[in-house]
Amino acid sequence: MGILENKARARLFYKYLSKVYDQVNPFIWNEEMRADALELLDLEADATVLDVGCGTGFATEGLLEHVDEVYALDQSEHQLEQAYAKLGKRAPPVHFHRGDAERLPFATDTFDVVWSSGSIEYWPNPILALREFRRVLKPGGQVLVVGPNYPDSFVAQKLADSIMLFYDEYEADRMFKRAGFEDVKHLFQGPSYDPDVAITTIGRAPE
Amino acid sequence: MKESLLEILCCPLDKHDLELEDAEYATDDDGDETDEIVAGVLVCSECGERYPIEDGIPNLLPPDMREETPA
Repeated sequence: MGILENKARARLFYKYLSKVYDQVNPFIWNEEMRADALELLDLEADATVLDVGCGTGFATEGLLEHVDEVYALDQSEHQLEQAYAKLGKRAPPVHFHRGDAERLPFATDTFDVVWSSGSIEYWPNPILALREFRRVLKPGGQVLVVGPNYPDSFVAQKLADSIMLFYDEYEADRMFKRAGFEDVKHLFQGPSYDPDVAITTIGRAPE
Repeated sequence: MKESLLEILCCPLDKHDLELEDAEYATDDDGDETDEIVAGVLVCSECGERYPIEDGIPNLLPPDMREETPA
């Protein structure tokens, strides 16, 4: 765990990072990667889908190519304003909420799919958040989380450890299983010049 | 937010039901109320914590994560 272990520090860091986020983000998570990740899910048009940490709405837009409506949640008003500009503030198609990934404001057994991309690296306690995902999923529902893969080089590892959460497939496996998910699988994704920069994990809530 | 959203929302702290207070609804072109809630407060039926609806968006951040000072 790095300095983001403390939640107040995490928020401070996040405020700073959000200033450069839109310049950085397209390099690690693009439309092609989003489409590949969406293919991993069983999405019916009337599925009840939650996007946790929707940010500027990039993944929400992708989900809307498959489903009629999306429930979206983010803690940052600043990022949500950009999502409203793209997708409109009123449902349909998107039901927006401000909230915390680790303390979700949704009833148990509500969603068919819970999606979260580019958010887990900011959660001080990812297992708590993943347990919340399992709680709000219907039995047999699918989870999909995209996060930063743990880098190979020593220098990048030191940097990664000091600022925020990165994890490899073994760590991802441990986290998702501890949170109670089954059929946990991982996919490495990235642009051609850095093909495994992101790790996408899918799993199912027990029946 | 749509009024029907209340069915799936809960208190982020203790997961109990939320009750809607002081609701203001959007009106349609004929001036009739719609099912779109533009302002109000969601109150936890168990712990009493209050969550505002701000310009139609429910703010369900736990109190320790809200930037604003409660009114």
